[in-house]
Amino acid sequence: MNRALGLGFLAFLVSIPFWIGDQYLLHILINAGIFVIGAMSLNLLLGYTGQLSLGHVAFFGIGAYTSALLSLGFDVTTFWGGELVVGPQPVWLSFLAGIVLAGLAGWFIGRISFKVRGAYFVIITISFAEVTKLVALNWVDLTEGPMALISIPPFSVSIPGIWEATFYGKTPNYYIMLAIGVVSYIVIKRLVNSRLGRAMVALRENEPLAMSVGIDVTRYLVLAAVVSAAIAGAAGGLYTHYVRIVDPDVFLFIYTVTMVIMVITGGKGTLAGPIVGGIIFGVLPEILREFMGPEAQWVTYGAVMIAIVMFLPEGIVPALTRFWERRKESRDASDRMITGRAASSATETPSE
Amino acid sequence: MRRWIRSLLVTSAAAGIGLASAASAADSIKVGVTQPLTGAVAASGNYVTNGAKIAAAEINANGGVMGKKLELVIEDNKSNPKEAVVTAEKLIVRDEVPVLMGAWSSTYTLAVMPKLMEYGVPMVVETSSSGKITTSGNPWVFRISPTSEMEAKSFAGNIEDFGIEKADMLVVNNDWGRGAADEFSGMLEANGVEVGVIETMDASAQDLSAQLSKIKESGGDTLFVTSGVEQLTLVLKQANSLRVPHRIITTGGSQSPSQLIEQAGEAASGSYHVLFFAPWFPEMAPNADVAQRFVDQWNENGYNAAGLTEGFRGYDGIKTIAAAIEKAGKAEPEAIRDALWNVKVNGVNGDISFIKQGPEGRESGQNIPNVYIVKIENGEIVKPEF
Amino acid sequence: MDQLLQHLINALILGGTYALLGIGLTMIFGIMNVVNFTHGELYTFGAYMLFFVVMVLGLNFFVSLAVAVVLGIILGAAIEFTLLRPIRGANIDTTMLVMIGAWIVMQNSEQWIWSGIAKSVSTPFPSDPLVFGPISVSYYRVFVFAAAILLIVGAHMLIHRTKLGKAMRATFQDSDTAALMGININRIYTATFALGSGLAAAAGALLAPVFVVTPTMGNIAALKAFAIVILGGLGNFKGATIGGFILALVEEFGAGYISSGYRDAMGFLLIIAVLLFRPTGLFKQAERIG
Repeated sequence: MNRALGLGFLAFLVSIPFWIGDQYLLHILINAGIFVIGAMSLNLLLGYTGQLSLGHVAFFGIGAYTSALLSLGFDVTTFWGGELVVGPQPVWLSFLAGIVLAGLAGWFIGRISFKVRGAYFVIITISFAEVTKLVALNWVDLTEGPMALISIPPFSVSIPGIWEATFYGKTPNYYIMLAIGVVSYIVIKRLVNSRLGRAMVALRENEPLAMSVGIDVTRYLVLAAVVSAAIAGAAGGLYTHYVRIVDPDVFLFIYTVTMVIMVITGGKGTLAGPIVGGIIFGVLPEILREFMGPEAQWVTYGAVMIAIVMFLPEGIVPALTRFWERRKESRDASDRMITGRAASSATETPSE
Repeated sequence: MRRWIRSLLVTSAAAGIGLASAASAADSIKVGVTQPLTGAVAASGNYVTNGAKIAAAEINANGGVMGKKLELVIEDNKSNPKEAVVTAEKLIVRDEVPVLMGAWSSTYTLAVMPKLMEYGVPMVVETSSSGKITTSGNPWVFRISPTSEMEAKSFAGNIEDFGIEKADMLVVNNDWGRGAADEFSGMLEANGVEVGVIETMDASAQDLSAQLSKIKESGGDTLFVTSGVEQLTLVLKQANSLRVPHRIITTGGSQSPSQLIEQAGEAASGSYHVLFFAPWFPEMAPNADVAQRFVDQWNENGYNAAGLTEGFRGYDGIKTIAAAIEKAGKAEPEAIRDALWNVKVNGVNGDISFIKQGPEGRESGQNIPNVYIVKIENGEIVKPEF
Repeated sequence: MDQLLQHLINALILGGTYALLGIGLTMIFGIMNVVNFTHGELYTFGAYMLFFVVMVLGLNFFVSLAVAVVLGIILGAAIEFTLLRPIRGANIDTTMLVMIGAWIVMQNSEQWIWSGIAKSVSTPFPSDPLVFGPISVSYYRVFVFAAAILLIVGAHMLIHRTKLGKAMRATFQDSDTAALMGININRIYTATFALGSGLAAAAGALLAPVFVVTPTMGNIAALKAFAIVILGGLGNFKGATIGGFILALVEEFGAGYISSGYRDAMGFLLIIAVLLFRPTGLFKQAERIG
């Protein structure tokens, strides 16, 4: 049932460029999709391990900057005096490097910050994002600082000397986004359904207990952070080669908050949650644009966030799933009255 | 629940249709405007937009362009280069405007420029001063504001008047500030003036006492400051309280001396300002009648008088665009671009026309504007005594 | 040498307001276990209220300062009452998410009401500075420093010399036992949050005439407050006071002698270093990790 729903949804997503017509709407969908990928990666930390990481945008930005810099080429005076010159690299290689570097940053920050919990963890992650932003702002030699990196090449494929294609248009970028989104989804799904994923959930539910049964807490958390950061880095690379400009504002705290809102609205700790939340908050601003100024919109989002945390703490997806199941159960119950067939109220874990 | 969803769908569909019908209105010519209407430099963006509205109203009152109404489609780039790209994309792809005006800061303009190439739409740049804009080989860019280099060159004639021997600099950390620091320090050194320290400040920085303490020690006689009016207010106030002995000269053309007097009070006294329009002395402008008319209309609309020094850019920009459309005879991007090379407009700043800059074959258009210097003295704006 | 002295004075003056910002935040964390993301917005609120009362209503400057602080206290109490009381006992992440929501609502409301254009507030103090040899400092900043110190000492006295303060300290040590001893925990929480908010509003109002008032001025202030609180150890009153001065010193000298661009980065690097090597802050005090 869920698998059919998922494939149906995917087929719908694949079909969109064929009938949408309005290129601007496609642009909105690509932007929303990039944020959905970011939200999915954040969900791995926030939803599955239960760690409120508020510096997530740092990984997104590191992915974006790495990919942009490598594809543009750069030369920079290193700390030890020499000069490092790197020529422009193919976009796919830069993109992969961005993922790797973001993952490394995730490992590093994981090693540091998982020593502490709660408020300390939150503040250390925020600080990390702020420091990366200030480095991007002030290391002008490398990052161009507030002048932003511009004219970043778009995604392209080539068979050297024979054929090449550069993807300026919306449709190819949409499919690239979709492909990366699907791959990220599968990676996350595999991960949370593995032994590792069960360990992560165990530790979210009861850390002392998880430790006592021999789960190496820090190791699992760091691993989750690496995967999460790498996917966020992929979203950053995607962003950079689509928008083709990157400036230190990609590190703004409000972007992390946007991802957090997507995750908790959709349902943290569920695979579908960030997708639902991401689509809502990725598309809503465009619908509301005609009726409300940006401030009024944000006031609304803030209020929605408070309301969800207070009244629907699990988020939309688990609430809908429950609603659905209850309806099915009552229908099954009436069926049973007639046929006597036992209803299989196969209540899957909410993580489906 | 279901009814609710349906009504939501209906409203959003209606909104979509509304947009579509607005887009197909054929009795008007659209001009896209992207300006920072919110965020760090919102004040300036709003002033420029006000000036643009005055120009559009004036044009429409006189029969429009080619008998059609000029319609401004104004988008907020939120003082952010990424949003500048998003707004340009929206204006070009969704609103299908044949020409743009924007995007205030050099950083936002540089960000938008690849989109102009990609879609082939010309843009009149009304404020930005970075040299890169017209030298990078983008044939869709036409700038009416001066570059930092032009500003610095025109200042060279005043070095003697001021008797500058050693100068320090405090600039905002972006294309605009750094560009100004490079050009002014180069110009000063070429004219035998020693350049002391060059300090930068983050665009959002509020406490500048560390930079100013350093400048105070440098022993220069003049401090050149380039930033937006909010930060200049802070620089003047804090320089005063730290007793920085320098004569302060602000550059960049976004200073609004009236606002500085209002917000910095006595701390603004004795400072000089390099401007591109001096609304207190419209008779100084080459087209004195145009300048006077603009000032009158600005006041009639009840706009803040502090915004005049910025607002004229929007006016001149839209006037230039309207002249180009009229000349082209059709509202199509390529025709407008070709026509821009031949326009001659009596603007508030002066006569606007474009010369070629940048690599051959892909030149950008650059106007040669006028530069004025005014002084603040005891809460009044005066012409300097030289 | 002259420059050194000037930097030192700048840092001292700045440190007073930093400390004021820090103690409000650290009190709320220590007693309520709430990471208050609205702290920066109360700072902004204080600044706008001062602007409103002085520049729009035209009241006396010193009266207006008091009005701004009182309004900050009322707003703080209202936030505690409507947002935090209903989720009392929820885990720290939940309260953080609610406070982030409140931060978004408050900041954008300010932008909505006041627009993005900066406001400036004038004071009755002379604009010419006080000069001692090579050093100079404006009269108003001296006043700000004195007022900040007075407020810090006042808050300290309130915590250590009054019945309310005693109840606060008891709640801080063990809220369950305090409740058993007949302390009205809800009232203590509201009082704590209101007091912390009042201190933030006071910092904002005091600094409004020094800087310009904008809707986003609270962001950087909030980040600095976090840095100060981490330096001093979460929940540590004295730590936050000293932390405020340390941060101001590091920033001022970092900007003066290393690089002005990295001024704001100093604080965060300091936080990461402290959390790496001394996660409970620079000063010793038995403290649970949230």
